Amino acid sequence: MSALTALARLRAIRDGVAQPITTVRHCHVAPQPMVFVPLALSGEAAAPLAAMIGTDPGHPRLLVVPQPRNRDLRFAFTAELAEVVLPYVEGFRKDTETVERRGGEPYERCLEAPQILVPNRQGAAFVGLLGRSTRFRRIDGPYPVHPSVPLLGRWLTYFADRSQQPGSCLLMAATEALGLHWATGQSGLEDANLATLVSWIDPPAGMTGAQAALEAEDPLLWPPAGPVTDPGFDNEVLAPAVHAYEEAPTEHSVERIAQALRTQLDPTWRLMWRAVELLRALPEGTRVRERWETDRGSFTRFTERLAEGGPPQARRDGAVGAAARLAGLERARASYDVQRAYDDPLVMAEYRLTGEAFAGTVTAADPEHTEGEGRSRKLRPLVTVTTADPVRQAPGTVVGSPDRRGHAAEIVEISGDEGVEAVEVVLKIVKGMGRGKSPTPGSVPEIGERVTYTSLTDDFQSSAALPDPELTPWTHGGPPQEYVPSDEDAQEEWS
Amino acid sequence: MSESLDALELRIAELRAQVRRAVKARDNTLARSLRGDLRRAEQAWDRAVGAGEPESPQEREAPLLPVREQVHQALALLGVPSAVRMIVAVNDAFFSGALRGPQLTSLRRDEERSFRGDPYARPYYLCAALTDRLSPARGLLADSTWEPERRVLGPLSPRVDFLVSAMRVADRLVRMTDPPQGARRLLRRMAQNIPGAVEGLAPADPETTIRAARAELEVHHAADVAQRAEVAARAGRQLSDAERLFGAVALSTLRGAS
Amino acid sequence: MNGRLDRLRGPVPSRPHDARAIAALAANPGCARRALLDAAGVDKDRTARHLGFPAPFGQSQFAITRGNSFETVVKENGCAELLRLLRELLKLPVAEVGYQDVESVGAHLRHSHTRALVDRAAREDGPAVFYDHPLLSLRIAGHVCYLEPDVVAFQVEGRFHIVEIKSFSVIDGQAEPRKVAAAARQAAVYVLALRALLADLGHAEERVSHEVVLVCPENFANQPTAALVDVRRQLAVLRRQLTRLTRVDTLLDGLPEGLTFDLAPGQDGVPTRPAGEVAEALSRVPARYAPDCLSTCDMCMFCRDEARESGATDLLGRQVRDELGGVSSVAEALGLAEGTLEPAEGQEEIARLLRLAERLREECLR
Ligand code: SF4
Repeated sequence: MSALTALARLRAIRDGVAQPITTVRHCHVAPQPMVFVPLALSGEAAAPLAAMIGTDPGHPRLLVVPQPRNRDLRFAFTAELAEVVLPYVEGFRKDTETVERRGGEPYERCLEAPQILVPNRQGAAFVGLLGRSTRFRRIDGPYPVHPSVPLLGRWLTYFADRSQQPGSCLLMAATEALGLHWATGQSGLEDANLATLVSWIDPPAGMTGAQAALEAEDPLLWPPAGPVTDPGFDNEVLAPAVHAYEEAPTEHSVERIAQALRTQLDPTWRLMWRAVELLRALPEGTRVRERWETDRGSFTRFTERLAEGGPPQARRDGAVGAAARLAGLERARASYDVQRAYDDPLVMAEYRLTGEAFAGTVTAADPEHTEGEGRSRKLRPLVTVTTADPVRQAPGTVVGSPDRRGHAAEIVEISGDEGVEAVEVVLKIVKGMGRGKSPTPGSVPEIGERVTYTSLTDDFQSSAALPDPELTPWTHGGPPQEYVPSDEDAQEEWS
Repeated sequence: MSESLDALELRIAELRAQVRRAVKARDNTLARSLRGDLRRAEQAWDRAVGAGEPESPQEREAPLLPVREQVHQALALLGVPSAVRMIVAVNDAFFSGALRGPQLTSLRRDEERSFRGDPYARPYYLCAALTDRLSPARGLLADSTWEPERRVLGPLSPRVDFLVSAMRVADRLVRMTDPPQGARRLLRRMAQNIPGAVEGLAPADPETTIRAARAELEVHHAADVAQRAEVAARAGRQLSDAERLFGAVALSTLRGAS
Repeated sequence: MNGRLDRLRGPVPSRPHDARAIAALAANPGCARRALLDAAGVDKDRTARHLGFPAPFGQSQFAITRGNSFETVVKENGCAELLRLLRELLKLPVAEVGYQDVESVGAHLRHSHTRALVDRAAREDGPAVFYDHPLLSLRIAGHVCYLEPDVVAFQVEGRFHIVEIKSFSVIDGQAEPRKVAAAARQAAVYVLALRALLADLGHAEERVSHEVVLVCPENFANQPTAALVDVRRQLAVLRRQLTRLTRVDTLLDGLPEGLTFDLAPGQDGVPTRPAGEVAEALSRVPARYAPDCLSTCDMCMFCRDEARESGATDLLGRQVRDELGGVSSVAEALGLAEGTLEPAEGQEEIARLLRLAERLREECLR
């Protein structure tokens, strides 16, 4: 939260509609995402109740557990879920490209990757729980399950883990994706409600966002987006229907439950596709593609791991693993933040506000300027930028610019008073102007040009490409110890 | 049931005929509405037939004993005042498996009514266990033929009774050549709450369970016997016959020690 | 003072607080409205309903059933599961297995029976380790509230432990932090009540451990697992809030003499007082709305509406308010940002920041 976003929220209140907080889209939206709206039984950790799932807005598949406390029905549900998810996910495996690497073996990468969209963070967490409760199951022994169940569990676990990675788009929560791009006139807490969030972003004609959001809070009009269901629905509708099923488990009673659950899922299903449309309508940021490439790479490695018959993911990271993971996430977060700032002037504006970046006009330039004598004589073009932004960097700071890749400059001198269009920053360009006597054309900003400089640097990119833990070279301790699932894991109750 | 089925069948036949007549007369509107009626009658018939059918065929043979007999059977195995859940679990593991918790909710009340109406007419009654306040202990069932000390509870009794019932379940398993899976699972569930009875995820060994339970029982036994004897004596002095079996109502417990 | 509180409530019995409600008192300690309503024992849920702003709370019967059945599992067979857990967790000696169901006496005697049993235990001749269905009490602003912890465990080492049984799962050693926090707040209320009881009986308060035993299902099964949770912080917050409540007279000071939140229920119990009048009375007592209220206070929809009507930045949450340097009105903040409003004294810094933010937004969205 920055003053910029706070201001946008105030505006949203006044104008009655959510305000953009980005100029481009910062997440990937796949051509054919899979929307997954799961519902769980209230009071249970991971008892699936129903789900609406599919890649075609017009043809969702409804999966239902008529008696959610029944273990066999639960596994039947997961087997059905696998029937939908696995073909979708595995369909991306066959088409690959060969990626050349500097200083490394070329490797294969899938041309496309699956993308699963859930309504909210709890939905993503539920994907993880579902994965956790199924990935250790065995297809033989005392409590056999359908072979697709443990495989589904591993995939769901993979997606849930991956969604922790900042900037990854393989599994996305709709509320988070939308919240990244719009500020509403309600609190962040209320933004977790998909129906009210969409109401603010795209209120129906003749209504303000606030009015539409108020209406969207009525669970009779807009049932909660799950995984928790509306208690009123549970007590009035679902409980009698489940009871009827227990009395007589006929097709008819299953249908009654399915109908009831459909009414709870349908509105969210439609909201999900509206969210997809809203996101698609935004122009894509430059670095979204690169991040998606990373996702594709990760996806490819996971398919390989499965093909090699690797064991299911461990129950939890060891201490070392957890620490490494945390550090990795922090790096990824920093890198992701910088990338978005470089892609989007409105995000960069947050750094200008805090003095970590400034934008202005070039008022003087000396492109042929050199330093040193004789053999150590180096080309060091000088430019002067006049800006109204507060500049909080000290001389000597190296800054980069979103306007030119591989460009770097050092702040030489800052003069004037901030606030009035009067701060002058003299910059010495130290990178990205070529090795010749005079700079490569276009590498030095010209007089009158608008430029942005920031002390944020995007050389995080190399660390974003750090290998996955399973590829950790032996020099760095080797891959983490394989987790060997025990009988206990396989036979664990799911009651 | 069969009568309404008969009536429905008659009606269905009639409707079929009427539909045919209407179609013949090209009265489409009438035909459509008659078809609707027919569909409804058929559905009603489906439902009536379904309801009359016996429960989906059970793998185990159908229970031959009435509910109270089944409860008695389970109690006899357990040998101590027990909660409904435990009785159902034992029935499931060793007997018919047809007992359901809700069937037992009014059992104690029915037994009490029967006893008060015609005392000692039955060979046994499913009665309450008494707390040290001489009130009926919540949710426990006992056998009226047990000696009074077994039907009352001191502070240690819940634990003692649990250990005893675990030993009895184990003992039953020892004496079976091929105990059913359900029975082994029941033992395992009980054994894991007894120190030294079971290791990790291994199945519980009945002999070990008995040894472990006996070891802990040694610790509580003497004190429990003394406490129970005291409560039983008090019950004998203060309560009527019916109260001795079904407990004193809350107010009269004021007579007890406080 | 009690007379005045009674007048505020009107001629209906004071609404008792349960542990959850008392724990929620600590959720928004700065709110005078809530403090006053609670001190007077006003039925907030009913009031909110009458005002046309029912709270969006409700409990699914599935969740209730699940909670009850898990509690049964933990307590059945003489607390067999709980014994196993406490033997591991607290090194409870094998001999300590006593169990006393306090509910074996009539409802009206449960509190005094609990008192007697706890007293005996504290004097080291208690008959039991587990007290099931005990009934404790706590004075809240002059009213006695009765509280029912799940189990009180007494260990020979001379310490009492509150046992809190919750049916949310602990999966691979992790539970939802929000739920653990709520359980800890609730357990702290019981600790406080039990300490009050011991103090009243002349025993040392510290004999009630500040570590409560939280029992939850492990992973996806019904098998219980237990952990000790330190509730010292929750206790401190709770104490502070309760003292505030007892100093409710200072809140009353500024209020008009005849003020009342009475709904004037008729013969059939249906409120007859016009909702507008009740709303007007409530608006005399300052609230401090925050989005957190939406999950903790029955009045939340009413107060949110009020905040919205008055254009308060509270609506957007504390984080936004902080970013706005405490400027409390939407119009004021926008005015400062757009330069239509001259900053008041002390607002220069935030006004400068907002103006810069405004300029940057304009520039980027042009
Ligand atoms: S909802 Fe209203 S009364 Fe309740 S705590 Fe929040 S501001 Fe105070």
